[in-house]
Amino acid sequence: MFRNKTYNRRKLLVIFSLVILVLGILVGRLVYLMIFCSEYYGQKAEDLHERERDIKAARGKIIDATGTVLATNRTVCTISVIHSQIDEPEEVIAILTKELEMEEEAVRKRVEKVSSIERIKSNVDKEIGDKIRNYGLAGVKVDEDYKRYYPFETLASKVLGFTGGDNQGIIGLEVIYEEYLKGSNGKILTLTDARGIEIENAGERRQEPIDGNNLHISLDYNIQLYCEQAAKKVMEAKSADGVSIIVMNPQNGEIMAMVNVPEFDLNHPFTLLPMKSSASETEQSTTEQNKQDLLNQMWRNPCINDTYEPGSVFKIITTASAFEEGVVSLGDQFFCPGYKMVEDRRIHCHKRAGHGAEDFTQGIMNSCNPVFIELGLRLGVDNFYKYFQQFGLLNRTGIDLPGEAVTIMHNKKNVGPVELATVSFGQSFQITPIQLATTVSSLINGGNRVTPHFGVSVKDDQGELVETLQYDVKEGIVSSETSEILRTVLEKVVSEGSGKKAYIEGFSIGGKTATSQTLPRSANKYISSFLGFSPAKNPQVLALAIINNPQGIYYGGTIAAPVVQEIFSNILPYLGIEKEAVPQN
Amino acid sequence: MSREQRADKRQKNFQYFDYSLLIIVFFLICFGLVMLYSTSSYNGQVKFNDAAYYLKNQLKADLLGIVAMIVVAKIDYRIWKNFWWIAYIAAFGLCVLVLFIGTELNGAKRWLNLGFISFQPSEMAKLAIIVFLATIISQMPKQMGKFSSLIKIMVLVLPMVGIVATENLSTAIIILGIAVALVFVSSPKYMQFIVMGGAVIAFGAIFIMMESYRAERLKIWLEPEKYEKGYQTLQGLYAIGSGGLFGKGLGGSMQKLGFVPEAQNDMIFSIICEELGLFGAVCVILLFVIVLWRFMVIASNAQDLYGALIVTGALAHIAIQVILNIAVVTNTIPNTGISLPFISYGGTSVVFLLSEMGLVLSVSRGIRLEQE
Repeated sequence: MFRNKTYNRRKLLVIFSLVILVLGILVGRLVYLMIFCSEYYGQKAEDLHERERDIKAARGKIIDATGTVLATNRTVCTISVIHSQIDEPEEVIAILTKELEMEEEAVRKRVEKVSSIERIKSNVDKEIGDKIRNYGLAGVKVDEDYKRYYPFETLASKVLGFTGGDNQGIIGLEVIYEEYLKGSNGKILTLTDARGIEIENAGERRQEPIDGNNLHISLDYNIQLYCEQAAKKVMEAKSADGVSIIVMNPQNGEIMAMVNVPEFDLNHPFTLLPMKSSASETEQSTTEQNKQDLLNQMWRNPCINDTYEPGSVFKIITTASAFEEGVVSLGDQFFCPGYKMVEDRRIHCHKRAGHGAEDFTQGIMNSCNPVFIELGLRLGVDNFYKYFQQFGLLNRTGIDLPGEAVTIMHNKKNVGPVELATVSFGQSFQITPIQLATTVSSLINGGNRVTPHFGVSVKDDQGELVETLQYDVKEGIVSSETSEILRTVLEKVVSEGSGKKAYIEGFSIGGKTATSQTLPRSANKYISSFLGFSPAKNPQVLALAIINNPQGIYYGGTIAAPVVQEIFSNILPYLGIEKEAVPQN
Repeated sequence: MSREQRADKRQKNFQYFDYSLLIIVFFLICFGLVMLYSTSSYNGQVKFNDAAYYLKNQLKADLLGIVAMIVVAKIDYRIWKNFWWIAYIAAFGLCVLVLFIGTELNGAKRWLNLGFISFQPSEMAKLAIIVFLATIISQMPKQMGKFSSLIKIMVLVLPMVGIVATENLSTAIIILGIAVALVFVSSPKYMQFIVMGGAVIAFGAIFIMMESYRAERLKIWLEPEKYEKGYQTLQGLYAIGSGGLFGKGLGGSMQKLGFVPEAQNDMIFSIICEELGLFGAVCVILLFVIVLWRFMVIASNAQDLYGALIVTGALAHIAIQVILNIAVVTNTIPNTGISLPFISYGGTSVVFLLSEMGLVLSVSRGIRLEQE
């Protein structure tokens, strides 16, 4: 037997000391991790454990001037599966495939995917969601959610706009008033284990959602509906490409109706409208990109997003400029031989035979081009452009809709007498319909440049006022005398001149017709339009009807004026505008 | 234990028994069960629909181990001198056998299925190597200073190390470490061990180079957040970090809920850190220090070199495992699977550990014979 020697003990002590030393280092490491890195790792761990579930806030409604709800929410369901909780995958696949009317393969792929939670389908009708919930399948979750719903489907589609998958506005008022409408989502913060299953009794933190506010707009459901019918009627009768109608209050810029037919279904904004026969051959070759282009085209609001040559309606602006500058008076005599020579160009009047001798009032009643060429030349480029600027014609109107196009006007230094002549009767440049309607409104209302708008006020769901929306008004863009002259001569246009077809017995209506040829001129396509307002002395309502590419007769006075006449004969009594005795000559 | 007391015992011819070690081991076992239940109840519920599944298994193994410990403690440890070759051959044979008919779990063949229990031969190999080397060395203490004997011992140990290393590198390292510790203690010299230390490091380096997955482990060790396989390490760090000074309280761990995979096994220390904080973690380390201290006392006072070497082997075994386990969990060294003695889940491990404790206690009983 060998004894335990001293050096054995000493070496044992060496080992023990080494062990203590190493353990000491490890304790140091623990101190570093648990004291100095505690916050970092603790936060990371918490991020890992915490699951955030959104509680969606209800989006605010859009309510028209009559109190009719134009955009609201509908409860829909989101169906998802929690992989680890599924007991019978085959049954789940079979039932979901049947109820959701989906491809079995797509459902199978998602059900069998190993993930904490997998969404099968969202925006499922509540009925179907309830039905699936009633099966009581383990691992299948049915969450309720809001989806935007438009009760009148196509009504004012290009104005209201629609929302996307996350309920955010995509076009129209839904985009502009996003901040007011969307509200803020609430949250449920829960702790979960590694499989994503919530831990009971762990306590949850809850943040309540704040619902969006309601937007009250000046659009009037009845007027809008009436205008839409009138627009559809004329579009059909004239086989036109499209018809746009704007009805607004010229005194404050509130828009009562904005119709752009064809309208689309706001509840199915990604379904293309049936195309005209000419486009059918390209239908087969519709690619994704192509389809997106067609959708964008369908969603466009031509009143705002597109420009056109205003034609003779623009003569109102030429008249206002000329009177403001004092280069013409009502009694001035003109002679129309059917054309006017400007430099070496012969510019024709629409009446080739000529109007003969006429004074200014007759000139505007006849919509005589040589008269307005003469006005334009008398004004000169500088003055003309000064008034464009003063009337606000060269800027955007500032309407509360997205994507407003800007006026396309000649660069001032390129304007020679020929260009000046064409501009003075509304050709060779482009503006948006809303710009034209707004500028004319401002000229006839006594000279207050208004901002066209839909939004009036924002209220919460209890009707409590949150904000009254304010718009800029620029006063004195034209003198009240000039404004009055305009109203007087424009009334004559309707009562005795080229706008006769807009006349309604008992109402005083002012207006101007226009017929313009679109580019390229060789296509022989026309835009025929009419702008009317009433009562002529104190305008309360202004309507602009634009018919794009009508077939057959295309004169504004013949086809567009009756549209406004029809609308006015219905909405003037509706708006409470009194009949007055206006003798017709 | 002061000198006077020991003198007192000698005079009265008391049979010495290291009760303090026994109590601490019992305490560690009980603490281990509490932590095991806290850590494994979630996994047990998820996998076996029984929160106490792991607890029950471990309790059975603990009871079996305690019986084994008591039996071994009663038997005079010198008897094992005669059976060292049986232990060595049996352990070696079983380690070879497991390569052929072993049950695979998590990609490694480490278990022998004996029908009623699963058994890990590599755990047995650790105990076998302690008994084996203690016998060999205690028979030739004079030659231990020679370099040739050193080589001789290593040649005897290396086959076992090699066979274990094919499936379980970490256990092989422990076996090697035990062998080095025993040779170191029995030799009067220092210099050659520095040479040997270099050899071990070289061996380890070659091993790492040989297999690409080990080189990958090094990268994961350095930047666990960048690799998918660093998941376990990272989750362990999250657990440790979120513990703070006093922890979330017993049962309060979030990371054990499936985030730290198989939290009841090698990573249990990270959950101890999370639930009991730095305070609890240091207490656990102190408990092990006390165990090791008792080992040192017993080894120093052992009646003969054989007994001293057995206890030294046990000391080396537990020290290496505790150090490596905590170092892995804190990402101080690259990840390798080493369990925390008495606390981690594992039946074979605890049965052989407790048998080893029985051996140590048996050696402690011999202390009274010191004065004969």
